[in-house]
Amino acid sequence: MTNRPSNLPHVDPQRVNAGGVPRVFITGVGVVSSIGLGKDEFFRSLGTGRSGISPVESFDASGLGRTYAGEVKQFRAKDHLTQAELRRTGRCSAMTLAAARMAISDSNIGATHLKGGRTAVVLGTTMGEASIIADLDHRWIHRGPQAVKRALLPKYGSTLLPIHVARAIGAQGMVLTLPAACAAGNYAIGFAADLIRAGRADVVISGAAEILQELQYSGFVRLAAMAQNRCQPFDLNRQGLILGEGAGVLVLESEAHAVRRGAHALAEVGGYGLSCDAYHITRPHPEAAGSIVAMRQAIARTGLTPDDIDFVNAHGTGTRANDTAEAKVMNDVFGDRRVPISSVKSMIGHCMGAASALEAIACVMTLETGIYPPTLGYETPDPECNVELVANVAREGRSKVILNNSLAFGGYNAVTCFARPGVLPEPPICDPREEETLAAAS
Amino acid sequence: MKPRAVTGLGVVSAVGVGKDTFFRALSEGAPLASAPRHPIESFDAANYPNAQDTVSEVPSFDPTKYLGDKGLRTLDRLTKLLVVAGRLAMHDGGFKRDGVYVQSSPERVGICCSNAYGSLEAITELDRVAQLEDARYINPAKFPNTVSNSASGYVSIWEDLRALNVSVSDGNCGALDAVACADIYLETRRADALLVGGAEAMSEALYLAFRRLGVVGKGPRLGEGAALLVLEPLEHARARKANIRAEVIGYGTSFHGPEGEELIFASTEAMESAIRMAIADAGVEPGDISVVASSVSGIKSHDEAETAAISRVMGDVPIAAPKSVLGETLGAGGAMGMAAALAWFDGATPSPIVAGRAPSDVRHVLVTSIGYYGNASAVVMRAPRDSVRS
Repeated sequence: MTNRPSNLPHVDPQRVNAGGVPRVFITGVGVVSSIGLGKDEFFRSLGTGRSGISPVESFDASGLGRTYAGEVKQFRAKDHLTQAELRRTGRCSAMTLAAARMAISDSNIGATHLKGGRTAVVLGTTMGEASIIADLDHRWIHRGPQAVKRALLPKYGSTLLPIHVARAIGAQGMVLTLPAACAAGNYAIGFAADLIRAGRADVVISGAAEILQELQYSGFVRLAAMAQNRCQPFDLNRQGLILGEGAGVLVLESEAHAVRRGAHALAEVGGYGLSCDAYHITRPHPEAAGSIVAMRQAIARTGLTPDDIDFVNAHGTGTRANDTAEAKVMNDVFGDRRVPISSVKSMIGHCMGAASALEAIACVMTLETGIYPPTLGYETPDPECNVELVANVAREGRSKVILNNSLAFGGYNAVTCFARPGVLPEPPICDPREEETLAAAS
Repeated sequence: MKPRAVTGLGVVSAVGVGKDTFFRALSEGAPLASAPRHPIESFDAANYPNAQDTVSEVPSFDPTKYLGDKGLRTLDRLTKLLVVAGRLAMHDGGFKRDGVYVQSSPERVGICCSNAYGSLEAITELDRVAQLEDARYINPAKFPNTVSNSASGYVSIWEDLRALNVSVSDGNCGALDAVACADIYLETRRADALLVGGAEAMSEALYLAFRRLGVVGKGPRLGEGAALLVLEPLEHARARKANIRAEVIGYGTSFHGPEGEELIFASTEAMESAIRMAIADAGVEPGDISVVASSVSGIKSHDEAETAAISRVMGDVPIAAPKSVLGETLGAGGAMGMAAALAWFDGATPSPIVAGRAPSDVRHVLVTSIGYYGNASAVVMRAPRDSVRS
């Protein structure tokens, strides 16, 4: 429980009352990950370059030729959920609810502030309650249709992630899941900020979650995208990704709400960019065209130029295609300026739908501490990935404004921007005047 | 919200494929119960003797008629339904002619689409391979289908949509929530036009799970389909001289969890809040609503909660149940309700009416969706002739 004095400036009532766009702050974060539960442990692990990649224990992967993942081994749902909640939830919802409780505790926001119609819950995922459908399938396949339990279907569906959270805190605003594969966290956080800016919510519990399941694991093996036992983003000899799992949840608040209750802000949410490659269902666009548009949009919508960006938290999956495409984005957007970049997937693996939410929380860490998390396993530079990588050990550096990059199955690109509170001169922009900027960005 | 023009519709449903077929069926209003029986196509129904009477598939669905023969082999049913709806919407909205952009550009058109259960077909098929044969035989080309947003990803690829591509999931309320998302994305100028709606596909897993729940055969049939409406800012639609079929002018949503321990729960309070919010958002009065395109589906607790909320806000307003004609399409339900409203604005008489009398003059339609967990959403639509010239 943090209880720090408010670091927020007094709201300019003139701007807010004149229909100005309210700023959006992150006031708490919660984490379930393979390198720690809760913010403190997660931040410590990121700073010291601890890897959570280990042999898979939750299912037998021995026949697949791959046996490693960033599996969450320390999480016990019963430490975080009531008995009734345990009965209603699968592993993915349980992790989400646990991370949400940690985030709420971290934000020091009172229960009364969360109740009612002005609090929304917007979360991302790829598969949601995948363990429930696996259970349903296994019963059906091995024991016949009569073995499918009545209670299973209601517990399945991505919808349930925010439903369980809203129920636990008495939120009565929008409950929404944005399934956007590997970019889901960024989609959810971006839309959550939009809801606040549009005046449709004061507080949004946002983030994303994903669990490791045999089917997804096998699928990635069959896509020939998986490395043996470590993920080496941007390295010449990288072998592919390592899957992971986890949940990352953030408390987003409007500036008026945060100031009113004397909140301490961890970060301000800037603008964000979205685009779609419309190219291939699993491969990124070879010239990274869509990804470039999304990154330029995120910068322009924050009202900044590429020169203002201090650090990029990479998508960095460790596959040949992704890292090469991402290097192209960096070179296109920043030109000769060598902006530091790093991929925490080298520590926690690719947590699929949860990835960009956990990475957004890593961004919060960088803003808070000035520490760039390291990219582990970097041995041999790849001439096709000419980037300023934070290789193997963490590094301190300027960290006022940073980007969180993501690319996903289906050609979904999303880039979010986070800034230290008090740094952004203006709230993110989106009015006719910016059309030229955005047109130029595209 | 600002009024958003609806300038096109792509729909694949229990009554067939395409807008004209849909409008015709809605003006006849024949409930599915009296529709001809079609053999089940999406799964082997030999083990389910009465499945034909309780399921409403898209009859004789042949995507090759709309998409050609190439590139369909590894797509699942959900994707095919949605890609066909996307193709029809792009043409009906006037953005494309013969497959080529004639208005706007790929960078400025996107999609915002709801789905509740993902591709159970794909997940189950690959699970069977993994469990009964060997996980190493999983077809990598089919694996992406297990990802619930891959269907809308394929729409982007087939139609070349390079603005945002957003999938939403909120059970039976998702397609109306997609409207709220689209409204914000249009307001923040992330696109000039969006395909907005939802899709759900029939599969043995879906049928089996609902059957085990004991809700199959209780009301309208368990269905499938995809409906995508083209939404754009009013001034954009006028500037390109698009055919404006309706306006979406208000949205509301609410969630009220149950007091007890149950998971499945229908909340009258949530439905009432969502309706009040949508009507206020639209800047109209409860008395302005001509008819409600409800989500009444034959599950008694949910139907009662929904109609009670409607009565609390609007007294004895006429209530229609499009699901009697179109089936229970889950994540596509709200989009089917909005498509029904388009048919009514076009002159079809709202039917079947479950409360009150069908209005002869449809000016404002409230579309409602009540969820299985205490969630509820609502949208207000307006006839184009009532458009307010700003």
